[in-house]
Amino acid sequence: MMMLQHGSTQLLCLTASSGVPLFTRGASKQLPFSVIGSLNGVHMFGGGHGVVLSSCETEGGGKVVWRVFQDSMMLIVVSGGGQDGAGDSKEDEVRLQRLLENVWSCMVLVLGQDELTNVRNVERLKRDLRSCFSLIDQLLEDRQEGILGNLTHCADSLLPPNPTLLQEAVDGFAQASDSEFGCLIVHGRIAAATEKWWRLAPPEVVLLSALIRSLSASGSASCDYPVFLPQGSPTVAHRLLRFQLLPGADVCVLCGPTPSLHSAESGMVGRFWTPLVETLRDCLAVGEHSLPRSVSLRPDVLALLLINRETRRSVSCVRTSTNRPLGDPPLPSKARCWEILKLFYIFSTTRYFNQEETLCVSPEERAQRANTDDFVLGFSHQPLQCYLVTEECKSYGLQTPQHQLFLLAPLSVPTFALRTVATQTLSDIVGATGF
Amino acid sequence: MAHVSPSSGSIIVADWHRCKDSKEYFSKILHKKRRKNFGLLESPVMPPHVAVDTVHYKIFLSGKSGVGKTALAARLAGLNIPNMHYETTGIETTVVYWPVKLRENGRVLFFRLQLWDCGENALRRFDHLLPACKEQVDAVLFLFSFTDRTSFDDLSNQIAKWTGAPVVKLVVGTKFDLFMHCDVAERDVRNFQETWSVPVLRVGGEVSDGLGDVASLLNCLAEHLWASGLCISQTPFTAGDRDCTLILT
Ligand SMILES: Nc1nc2c(ncn2[C@@H]2O[C@H](COP(=O)(O)OP(=O)(O)OP(=O)(O)O)[C@@H](O)[C@H]2O)c(=O)[nH]1
Ligand SMILES: [Mg+2]
Repeated sequence: MMMLQHGSTQLLCLTASSGVPLFTRGASKQLPFSVIGSLNGVHMFGGGHGVVLSSCETEGGGKVVWRVFQDSMMLIVVSGGGQDGAGDSKEDEVRLQRLLENVWSCMVLVLGQDELTNVRNVERLKRDLRSCFSLIDQLLEDRQEGILGNLTHCADSLLPPNPTLLQEAVDGFAQASDSEFGCLIVHGRIAAATEKWWRLAPPEVVLLSALIRSLSASGSASCDYPVFLPQGSPTVAHRLLRFQLLPGADVCVLCGPTPSLHSAESGMVGRFWTPLVETLRDCLAVGEHSLPRSVSLRPDVLALLLINRETRRSVSCVRTSTNRPLGDPPLPSKARCWEILKLFYIFSTTRYFNQEETLCVSPEERAQRANTDDFVLGFSHQPLQCYLVTEECKSYGLQTPQHQLFLLAPLSVPTFALRTVATQTLSDIVGATGF
Repeated sequence: MAHVSPSSGSIIVADWHRCKDSKEYFSKILHKKRRKNFGLLESPVMPPHVAVDTVHYKIFLSGKSGVGKTALAARLAGLNIPNMHYETTGIETTVVYWPVKLRENGRVLFFRLQLWDCGENALRRFDHLLPACKEQVDAVLFLFSFTDRTSFDDLSNQIAKWTGAPVVKLVVGTKFDLFMHCDVAERDVRNFQETWSVPVLRVGGEVSDGLGDVASLLNCLAEHLWASGLCISQTPFTAGDRDCTLILT
């Protein structure tokens, strides 16, 4: 059965206890009510027999993933599968699992856990859930190139040319706002943050980045948004204050009842940031590359994703114009490189490398949902490197205790040279930036 | 398109953006024929020999969910207007710079209008948001939608809540372009305007040239703010000089 068009994804939300539909998002053509009912029914049937149905595949290459959160809400995602030949069903499943986790976190972020778990009035809940649609649709579309945090749960970062000045300003600004949590986001990526910001749970850091990105994209000058932190403060809202310093550069703090948006803006923004206008412009000039010019990458690197496993941060870039010698096969487009990078990340982390589990799931649940192949569990050791050659490019993964590097190279690079390219790239970046 | 109440144009030059002598000022708020988006650290910069004061105002957008507050803020600032209704889940402010020429003495001023937009449902869920919007506010725009009768009928209630407050009050009717679904008759609007003696402006439709669509609304707002008397003139903090001066008109 093919339930949805290829490439489209639909999200369903129902109450877990009684299966009352709360909302659906995504896909232009909605699934008929009877299908929604059956999807819920089959999960309940399993539940009645002590079986947790977590995913299934349709003959047409579609995929369904179920997940119940806090015993109160059921999220189901249905995917038409096969986005332009992207990945097999395992890659799809990981992507969809992540999507459900992220959607739930969004709901908690906006509404708080109490409202979602103690449902007194379903109609009212339905109405309130509408306030989450902006973030949920953004997750479903997943259109923003170069942002991988939703998948990796590592914070997309940008390494500024002048980190010390920015760090001091963020620290000072946060302190003056009676807050320990502050960060500077440039082109949607964290350029500097207070120590406490980095101590938020990694999925929260990623979620806040996503919220700030969407606020920043609207072009508004400042915001005062109530937010719940899914892990740190699921029942008490904090205030997220955001100030657009320059278009594309936003400073944010998480704070309590004070200061007011007005007083923070008129009293502090200019004081801390006016002296740094040029530094901020330099930082904006780094652009989507997330790496300063002091890092010179080898010409045979097409794209890369570098994760610091300890700090749960990542930098990534796709290079636009690598000169291609005549006669070489065409290089994948920029958008395609981002897609391949994501797929290769999932490929490597499900088959060979550890995917650091950062989510609060119970151990039993984790075992049920284990994405890691039995194949890997059979290993007596941890693979350190892996590679994959496809018709489009060559991919290489490298793992050290501190880092994971995922790198794409053109087909013209000999396979035996990939390891050298990767190790050298890793040391180039770490050497120049201390990342 | 915005249509202004007839009384306007007595204090500031109406349609000044069409005059030649306004070019050098309006060019500072444009970039590649579109409106320029200013970060908080930026402001329109005139050459040193052209001294222009900037006057700062805080404007609150009031109106029920879906009436078009976020869309209006985007329209006035020349930002992309959302075509879907996504609830605003907190306060968002948008800064609009607008050059104005005073009729009386030909003096030019930059109005810095900071529009405070807070989602109606967020206002209801969180008590601290409304006081934040009201703090030191200079004007309130009461929005209703031409396609939603109840939003129009509720105006008097909304305005009554602000009786006695020393703020400029204007009413803006949104979705004027959706005349097929119009639910508020012209006659009702005229009656309302007479009863409350509050100007009613109309907006809606595609944004075409960036300035003409918003000029009448922004000029009307600027005029009422200026006429209201006291304002705080503040050179923007990018200039490095943050002394405040009071100007009495
Ligand atoms: N045709 C037309 N549509 C409009 C106009 N103004 C707003 N809309 C649409 O109306 C919907 C709601 O507008 P918003 O500006 O998001 O509503 P809001 O008042 O901010 O609502 P809350 O944030 O929930 O309080 C959006 O889909 C807009 O595109 C208009 O003048 N004409
Ligand atoms: Mg809104």
